[in-house]
Amino acid sequence: MRPVKLLSSALAFAVALGVSGSALAQANDWREIKKPALRPFKMQQPARVALPNGMVIYLQEDHELPLINGYIVIRGGSREEVSEKTGLVDVYGEVWRTGGTKAKTGDELDDYLEARAAKVETGGDVDSTGITWNSLKGDFDATFAVVVDLIKSPEFREDKIGIAKSQMNTGIARRNDDPMGIATREATRLGYGKDNPYARIPEYDTVAAVTRDDLVAWHAKYVHPNNMIVGVVGDFDAKTMEQKLRKALGALPKGPQATAPTIEPAPAKPGVYFVKKDDVTQSNIRMVHGGVRKDDPDYYAIQVMNEIFGGGFSARLFSNIRTKKGLAYSVGGGVGSQYDHAGLFTLQMSTKSESTVASVDALYEEIDRLHNEPISDDEMRRAKDSILNSFIFLYDSKQKVLNQQLMLEYFGYPKDFLEKYQAAVEGVTAAQVSAAAKQHIRKADIAILVVGKDADFDAPLSKFGSVTTIDVTIPDPGASKASAPAIGSAEGKALMSQAVAAMGGAAKVGAIKSYRMISVLTVKGPMGEMALDTDETTIFPDRQRQTVKTPMGEMVMVVTADGGFMTMGGKSQDLPDSQKKGMLDSIRDTPLLLGSKIDDPAYTFAIAGEAMVGDVATKALEISGDGIRVKWCIDPKTGDLLRTIKSSPQGEQWIDYSDFRDVDGIRMPFKGAVRTAEQDSGRFEIKSFELNPKIDDAIFAKPQE
Amino acid sequence: MRKPQMVMALAALLLSTAPALLAQDVASFEKRIKVETLDNGLTLIVMERPEAPVFSFFIHVDAGSSQELAGQSGLAHMFEHMAFKGTDVIGTTNYAEEKKALETVETTYRAYELERRKLAGRDDAKAAALQKAWKDAIAEADKFVVKNEFGEIVDREGGVGLNAFTSNDETGYFYSFPANRIELWAYLESERFLKPVMREFYKERDVVFEERRMRVESNPIGRLVEQFLAAAFTAHPYGRSGVGWPSDLTSYSASDAESFFDQYYVASNMVVAVVGDVKAAEVSALVKTYFGRIPKSPKPEPIRTVEPPQSSERTVVIKDQAQPFYVEGYHRPSAFDKDDAVYAVISDLMTAGRTSRLYRALVRDKKIAAAAAGFSGFPGEKYPNLFAFYAVPTPGHTPAEMQAAIREEIERLKTTDITADELKMVKTRAKANLIRGLANNQGLAIQLATAQNRFGDWRQVFRQVEDIDKVTVADVKRVANATFVESNRTIGIVDSTKLATAPAGGQE
Repeated sequence: MRPVKLLSSALAFAVALGVSGSALAQANDWREIKKPALRPFKMQQPARVALPNGMVIYLQEDHELPLINGYIVIRGGSREEVSEKTGLVDVYGEVWRTGGTKAKTGDELDDYLEARAAKVETGGDVDSTGITWNSLKGDFDATFAVVVDLIKSPEFREDKIGIAKSQMNTGIARRNDDPMGIATREATRLGYGKDNPYARIPEYDTVAAVTRDDLVAWHAKYVHPNNMIVGVVGDFDAKTMEQKLRKALGALPKGPQATAPTIEPAPAKPGVYFVKKDDVTQSNIRMVHGGVRKDDPDYYAIQVMNEIFGGGFSARLFSNIRTKKGLAYSVGGGVGSQYDHAGLFTLQMSTKSESTVASVDALYEEIDRLHNEPISDDEMRRAKDSILNSFIFLYDSKQKVLNQQLMLEYFGYPKDFLEKYQAAVEGVTAAQVSAAAKQHIRKADIAILVVGKDADFDAPLSKFGSVTTIDVTIPDPGASKASAPAIGSAEGKALMSQAVAAMGGAAKVGAIKSYRMISVLTVKGPMGEMALDTDETTIFPDRQRQTVKTPMGEMVMVVTADGGFMTMGGKSQDLPDSQKKGMLDSIRDTPLLLGSKIDDPAYTFAIAGEAMVGDVATKALEISGDGIRVKWCIDPKTGDLLRTIKSSPQGEQWIDYSDFRDVDGIRMPFKGAVRTAEQDSGRFEIKSFELNPKIDDAIFAKPQE
Repeated sequence: MRKPQMVMALAALLLSTAPALLAQDVASFEKRIKVETLDNGLTLIVMERPEAPVFSFFIHVDAGSSQELAGQSGLAHMFEHMAFKGTDVIGTTNYAEEKKALETVETTYRAYELERRKLAGRDDAKAAALQKAWKDAIAEADKFVVKNEFGEIVDREGGVGLNAFTSNDETGYFYSFPANRIELWAYLESERFLKPVMREFYKERDVVFEERRMRVESNPIGRLVEQFLAAAFTAHPYGRSGVGWPSDLTSYSASDAESFFDQYYVASNMVVAVVGDVKAAEVSALVKTYFGRIPKSPKPEPIRTVEPPQSSERTVVIKDQAQPFYVEGYHRPSAFDKDDAVYAVISDLMTAGRTSRLYRALVRDKKIAAAAAGFSGFPGEKYPNLFAFYAVPTPGHTPAEMQAAIREEIERLKTTDITADELKMVKTRAKANLIRGLANNQGLAIQLATAQNRFGDWRQVFRQVEDIDKVTVADVKRVANATFVESNRTIGIVDSTKLATAPAGGQE
């Protein structure tokens, strides 16, 4: 260590450069350090131009780098789409760009723009849609021409609608993989109401319902100059840019004026909500109820309260729950606000499963302290200092200032909202913060949500009240129509009769009470094929035992009316309900059993068109009843059942039957090929099939451990 | 997932690290950037950018989880957390007393740990008593703590974006301040690395374990990646969990963290970059005054282990409730290799935007994936690492299909020259991305400090783009053929036990 020498050489250096010596005496305590006043600073404001057709333009010159960025915000967002088509604005926001224009396909635009390293993108949000672009300044004209073409002549080509929907479906399929995602989504649905436009979520069926006509109609309804605000920032001359924009967009005719809808929240009942997720070691906790708008009279007191309570490294939640208790990596929250509708009060936290209930207690404890203890002067000062000293970062770049002015104009807020904010925060008192805390954080209104593995919790959640379990199962495609099966018909019943006759006749089919089948099942997995020897014994309608020889050893699965279990390697475990239901359903939709239902009034048989199976033109029959719904494709010449179609959790499942043989007067297919979601997923080959065999009931009993 | 978010994230990553510009741009930067090395070996970079009265900084420490010893996985990240706990002045009511109390915490913990970890003859009652003594010592030490005072000072003085990260390669600390806090900054950041105090270490260890639960254990891709890397790297630390294996995370001590600090947080191993409304001379003087106090010490020795050549394909399959996912990785040389820019070209060509080969093949044409990418630097780039490809299947499609489609694109790279237009597009994009990355203080500070500390010269930010500009069509084919071979490959699959239903008519 040579501090003295270093210090003196530093001083010499500083004096030589004319830096004041006082800055260089090394401070031993941060409180000793002088903070000179910040130099007076007002960021350059963008120029505002209003065109006669209602379009408003903000132009902000910034010559530091040879770049130009622009964007247009357009009124109308997903809160205005019909609920049956939830996801429409997402699809629109993607396909507006990828679907190309009348003149150029989206792919041609991709090539054209990427060759210039330029971007033009469109998107949809909850309260707006928009288009953004950026390029090197020399490519502005070429890039902006694409923007104008998209505004005037979008094409929304069908192939890109398909891709956009497929990407949305991927998001739907994966939305329960991430526990934080589940918590955020479900907390929003608790706060606003699950079907509220601020909280609802797309489903396979609502995405499927979106058509090209919907996208065209959306564009025609909203994309008009009087609904647009344009912002451009970068290395240009504002006057020249204004002329370019006038020339390109000034002649667009006015359209119907869009106004923000009034949407009332319909929050869930306060109480305790739970989402079961067993593949995690950590619980995600949320507390939620309604919040405020940014023009609420308590807005400034709320900002100070949030700073004290849940924002940043020195806030109470971070200090007490993370630092002091070590209960969380992620914890925070506060009373949220939006420009034109109420935000949500949300606290969020994640903690190991074993400290879930202790963590909810800890959050409540902090709310109680906030409600019951006065805020200290020191805490007030700290919160205000933090907000006011960092205020400069709200306007430290030309782009930020442009964004703010555009946002304030869009929501009709005064231009000096920011300046007012500074003075108003300074004026907030501790009493106002306490009052705001009581008014805007209300224990009686809170919905608590926990996403996690309840078997590992430190105590039952019922400590906080009766627990409502939220079922987050993703509805299968077609679920919204599932309540309307096809109506049975005489033709349908006649086709069924033909099929049953081909099987061996109603009397023989009706006499089948059980069977035993030994077969080889070949399954296609991600890494290739696997052939499995299986032995299955079934007693209609609700008992089955399957023995499967797997590379890991023999696996036995048994399902009965009141239970189900699986045994492997000497260990038994109960089947999950979903799997049990799947096995029971697959007994009840066995063709041999359905064949006996031809006169059962609970079943209907409807003609459902035609289908080619191999080179046979079959007639399709939809059979439904008792919660079962399958389609049979029947050879109209022979009556043979050549294909069954049903839905499965993996997608639509087809089984094509062949190699028909006689078993005690019953015509049975001995081979089958399985396709799932239009992909080859396996096949089976029957080695022996016995009708009404002798069965020892003991095979359905769970082994004693 | 309305848009392929992983691709977006990757694009952002590329943008932040992508290099290069024309000679005059380098020249204009030369004028605005001052670099100096202090007597103690610490390097300072200052760039004056007086757009608004604010500045950002980045402190780059050339040590990450690759520097950890066996049994101490996660310690680099653990120390990073401890760097927010204050000093002998910040965060304490009485340091002299606290210091004694913290020493007792360490001796009691050591005694407890030795008993707890005994393989044979452990005395459970004794372990419990030792554990109690340790917990009591913690309670005693906690009496002197002023919670989060370091972060609180930064907050109340107007700091924004206070944060840090630890990667396999390095550790970084950053935030932004109003310009009039430059001396306060020099004080806070030098004190932090001069006299860090390991207070509240064991509570913070619990916090870090929660981070592990969040990022790895409760996240399907996190679960896969941890196993995938462990399979791909048999010798090099890139195969170890960055956040730490559970057993290490529950056993290492504050003394271990301190040793790590002593070895790697030496001045010669640190680069400080400051960008914003500052005067280079003033920053220089302040940094000499404050950071100059950090003792001089030689730069730590580089690690010895080099991953040996892989001789056969490896596969990791995790059965999971989550939807399927596919990744495969191939060993490639480090960022110091002469072919580094060729890998950058391949990555960009395969991944960037809707013109990329993987997007066009898997998402647009085959319609089997929602997103697909090929990228370098996994999990780091300072040492030989992986060039990896991944794809996210759309409902009803399988990892096997992802694999086949990715291989088809790899084969194309190996057998058919990329077009001159494609190469030109990649080069144009590299230049534009470099320019876009120069638009803000924090991004600049991170790029300059990282390049300076890793390559010894901040100009590498620009040189990487110049290197990309020199890549030829033949280079791409040559490197693809050398790298993308079966024996050099590791495969990772999430095999879903609950496949999603494929919606009919979703495509076409």
